[in-house]
Amino acid sequence: MQYEVIVVGAGHAGCEAALAAARMGATTALITLQSQAIARMSCNPAVGGIAKSHIVCEIDSLGGEMARNTDYTGIQFRTLNTKKGPAVQAFRVQCDKDAYSLRMQAVVRAAPNLSVIEAAVDGLQCHSGRVCGVVLNDQSVIQANTVILTTGTFLRGMIHIGAKQYPGGRNGEPAVPNLSLQLRQMGFRIGRLKTGTPPRIRKESIAWEKLSVQPGEEPPSFFSDEVRQEQMFHVEHCESGSSLESSCGRSGQALFHVEQSALRPWSPGWCQVPCYITHTTTETHAIIRENLSKSSMYGGNITGTGVRYCPSIEDKIVKFADKDSHHVFLEPEGRTHPDIYPNGTSNSLPEDIQERMIRSIPGMERAVFSKWAYAIEYDFCDPTQLFHSLESKIIEGLYMAGQINGTTGYEEAAGQGFLAGVNAVRKCRGLNSWTLSRTESYIGVLIDDLVTKGTNEPYRMFTSRAEYRLLLRQDNACFRMLPHAKEIGIVGSEVLNRWQRQAQEIRTEIARLEKTASQAGTLAQMLRRTGVSYADLNGALPLDSKVVEQVEIEVKYAGYITRESQQALKLQQIDSQLIPNWINYDSIQTLRYECREKLKRLRPESIGQAARISGVTPADIAILAIVIKRGEGTR
Amino acid sequence: MKADSDTIAAIATAPGEGAISVVRVSGPGSLEIADRIFRCRGPLPSQRAGGSFVYGYVIHEGTVADEGLLLIYRAPRSYTREDSIEIQGHGGSAASQRILRAILDAGARPANPGEFTQRAFLNGRIDLLQAEAVLDLIRARSDRAAAAALDQMEGRLSRIFGLMYDRLLRLAAEMEATLDFGDEELPPTILQDVALRLQAVEQEMALVLSTWGEGHLLREGALVVIGGKPNVGKSTLLNSLLGTQRAIVNQVPGTTRDTIEEHMVIDGYPVRIVDTAGLRDTDCEVEGEGIRRARHSIQKADILIYMMDASGEVDEEDLAALRAKDEGHTIILANKSDLAISESIRSYMTKTTVIACSLVRNEGIAEIKQRIADQLKSQSSSIHHSAISERHRKILVLAIKDIQEALLILRDKDAEIPLASSHIRSALEHLGEANGRVYHEELLQNIFSRFCIGK
Ligand SMILES: Cc1cc2nc3c(=O)[nH]c(=O)nc-3n(C[C@H](O)[C@H](O)[C@H](O)COP(=O)(O)OP(=O)(O)OC[C@H]3O[C@@H](n4cnc5c(N)ncnc54)[C@H](O)[C@@H]3O)c2cc1C
Ligand SMILES: Nc1nc2c(ncn2[C@@H]2O[C@H](COP(=O)(O)OP(=O)(O)OP(=O)(O)O)[C@@H](O)[C@H]2O)c(=O)[nH]1
Ligand SMILES: [Mg+2]
Repeated sequence: MQYEVIVVGAGHAGCEAALAAARMGATTALITLQSQAIARMSCNPAVGGIAKSHIVCEIDSLGGEMARNTDYTGIQFRTLNTKKGPAVQAFRVQCDKDAYSLRMQAVVRAAPNLSVIEAAVDGLQCHSGRVCGVVLNDQSVIQANTVILTTGTFLRGMIHIGAKQYPGGRNGEPAVPNLSLQLRQMGFRIGRLKTGTPPRIRKESIAWEKLSVQPGEEPPSFFSDEVRQEQMFHVEHCESGSSLESSCGRSGQALFHVEQSALRPWSPGWCQVPCYITHTTTETHAIIRENLSKSSMYGGNITGTGVRYCPSIEDKIVKFADKDSHHVFLEPEGRTHPDIYPNGTSNSLPEDIQERMIRSIPGMERAVFSKWAYAIEYDFCDPTQLFHSLESKIIEGLYMAGQINGTTGYEEAAGQGFLAGVNAVRKCRGLNSWTLSRTESYIGVLIDDLVTKGTNEPYRMFTSRAEYRLLLRQDNACFRMLPHAKEIGIVGSEVLNRWQRQAQEIRTEIARLEKTASQAGTLAQMLRRTGVSYADLNGALPLDSKVVEQVEIEVKYAGYITRESQQALKLQQIDSQLIPNWINYDSIQTLRYECREKLKRLRPESIGQAARISGVTPADIAILAIVIKRGEGTR
Repeated sequence: MKADSDTIAAIATAPGEGAISVVRVSGPGSLEIADRIFRCRGPLPSQRAGGSFVYGYVIHEGTVADEGLLLIYRAPRSYTREDSIEIQGHGGSAASQRILRAILDAGARPANPGEFTQRAFLNGRIDLLQAEAVLDLIRARSDRAAAAALDQMEGRLSRIFGLMYDRLLRLAAEMEATLDFGDEELPPTILQDVALRLQAVEQEMALVLSTWGEGHLLREGALVVIGGKPNVGKSTLLNSLLGTQRAIVNQVPGTTRDTIEEHMVIDGYPVRIVDTAGLRDTDCEVEGEGIRRARHSIQKADILIYMMDASGEVDEEDLAALRAKDEGHTIILANKSDLAISESIRSYMTKTTVIACSLVRNEGIAEIKQRIADQLKSQSSSIHHSAISERHRKILVLAIKDIQEALLILRDKDAEIPLASSHIRSALEHLGEANGRVYHEELLQNIFSRFCIGK
């Protein structure tokens, strides 16, 4: 069997990649080590959070699955940064970890054109610089036009607990020993990163009464536009006994819920479960300090670079010695799951020290461990070796997405996965690649950062990374993504038409407010006053809430939005000046040597991208522009 | 591929004291800028035909910066094939810098090295054979600019910019941290007094901008005042410096009654040179008014040339006049050294730098001019690469404007940080341009090194 697209690894990147490809009509195989581990949450059972939430909304608007999967399996919904304005507002949803994976399995199984194959991929098969299939560890070959690697932390994964270390891709799962070695042989630069996870504690061993509660928010805020639209009258459930497929309605969108037996009828966002907050004590810190040399990280066993913004508890205590207490959030791993996730206690200490350390935290004095904390080191592939389409520059038809590119986080992985999936299909169809720009999306910022600057630590999204923060809001994701969603064709026409209509209504209404006079100035000027909302306006129309929200934001922040739009336009201009393939940096003697070397290594796709490479000066860019123009003249 | 669509400006003539200087502007905004800064009879510059020229004045901040010819070129009939203007003004770097400053303030940006030629090429004006030469030109000019920048790198200017950038980056990091992390992860003191701290940075920047000195020295010319008691030879000095018999010279003390102001250029700097009435007690009302004006001029002077009679005594009147002025702003002369140098002057010369001269014998003029030039240079903050200093000034002005906007937002107690932050980012971007730093790359670094964040 020859597939159009093979996706290796059914993590968060892999699922989006495979679903996007299959939904676009490509024959797709999703090859993964264990099918029950599909979309497993390796670490924290939460989706979203600041800046990541933006990515989830963009994925949803493009036709991805993450938003819906989260909304349907969420057990606690919260909105962050509510007082800081729309640009940085974000949703964070605590999911039922098992439900999340189960629902995604159902969706993947139900998707047309998509086969799930449980196997370990050992290597790639290539022919004259083009990928043509994968080799499984039994040496059998599966052929494909394109291959997407989304192997997460599994490549030469090494788990560390204190002085102990053993190969593993994730707790209880095997590592993949050969694939990254082969990539290296093919000429890819491979680096090593590390991350870690806290222990898991049995729920019944926790003294809840001592802790402060962090409840979910009502009504719940959903990522997915569809869930927002339908939750009032739609109940996702499956009759016991009926096959999963038959319960999946429209074009493979699984209408299935894993919890229907517990709560019936069930609707997303019902019966939220709270989180609890506690904190480390001076005793905790003393235990860690005394045993620092036993930690894998501080004992010198780990060489990979760790995550600064997800520091292990050892890191927090060493680097911020003056703080004598840190927050610990106790988050349920599921509605009925026996474990909690003590967020903030990631470490790589030996088991006995972990136990003493955790038990020094109020509420966990009698903690029973169900899993030990560990750190993991793994291979990643320098992402500057990829184009913006996530296709590799070295092997044609080979794509990479997710943690293999040096990122961390489910959302970052899913965003890349979706884009790689779409591009693999376009490649098969002979279409040009589809990319997102920094000026229109967080996914665009993410990918441009990766392929232009690379990373030397696990890369996570922040709103600070986006230049045009006022433009890239999560509330307008569907409007930003609309032209793309149309082109890709996964989102249904009914939904597209609705967004289209709303976008039109927003434009018309803003124009009307700008030119309609009221007592003091135009209606738009009235709306710009603090404390005035659309409904307060004399002559407000009965528009739907999405339209009203956009009109309010676009009018109130008009000054900033215009300013950023102008800057964005400039960036788009230089980004649209492509660097042709015939360019030969070695022959441009006027370029400084170091600059030539950088350009040769990174092979930027546009003048704009070249200008963003650190150390490339405006003079270098001027020279490049002239060389291109000259070359075009002689061709 | 097309050239950028913004408007650029640069001084086109080589530095030095040529007879005229040319400032060139290119880009779609050229004519609009001309309308804004150039006053002439008849229609506005933008209403005039390409290829025409007109005489008039360059106006900057309400005063005449220079007079000269404005040449108008319309796309595609110009060197760059864009709308362009050229202003031909007085020679000397100071005059052309005043014109350039007016143009930049009206909305152009300083051109990069070789950018005019680059645009000419990209717009198809120069043929392929010439392209190689263009490349070399850009490389050479940018290397020279880089060398000049490197000179400054070790200097005061770059240190000051570095400091301001760092302080602003710290504030930006705090603001950004509050946006990217939950409140419970951040120290409660974060953003405390942020407006006050921001204001301190802004004041510092405003101070740098004002003590730049160069600003007004270039725009109005430095005020050089010749003062001293009657009959010491002040009017003689004015005439010597100007090379004309401008002022009446006479052996009668109290010859000069009113202040006399003349313009001249010393080492490329425009100078307003002022001769004053001799300082003494008098009953004559007219002379008294002259002396009052003399004292006023001395007080305002950027440079005071205080003249004494080498054969006379240094008295309390002299010392009082000298005490009124900073040492860095005075040049002391002992004239008539051909007659005698008194004991009193001799002992004074052991304590202070005094130039002994004899104007009737033409001795000491060169030294005096040199001293004036040195002081002008040090007062204009030792920046000699004009293009770069102009850039720095523009950067400061833009950054200050952004900070002020941020402060305005922060005044509101429910201020939305992302809005203030947007201005601070912009200010950082401007400052970063001066010393090649990129805030995107340093912001997160700064956050993580200072706050323990992440669960
Ligand atoms: C211990 C640990 C701690 C983490 N901590 C954090 C954190 O604190 N914060 C955070 O944001 N993120 C954290 N993460 C990262 C987050 O889990 C990942 O970023 C995200 O899951 C990456 O998604 P992915 O799709 O790239 O890979 P994964 O979700 O890891 O999925 C990879 C999939 O590929 C399959 N696979 C791999 N190789 C092969 C092969 N050769 N053949 C077949 N199948 C294969 C695996 O079975 C797996 O299903 C952590 C991860 C781990 C393991
Ligand atoms: N011997 C000698 N005489 C000089 C010298 N310089 C100027 N004089 C004479 O000194 C007299 C006064 O010169 P002015 O230049 O008029 O002096 P002033 O300081 O302007 O005097 P008031 O305007 O009256 O304050 C004139 O006769 C000059 O010729 C010099 O260097 N040596
Ligand atoms: Mg006189």
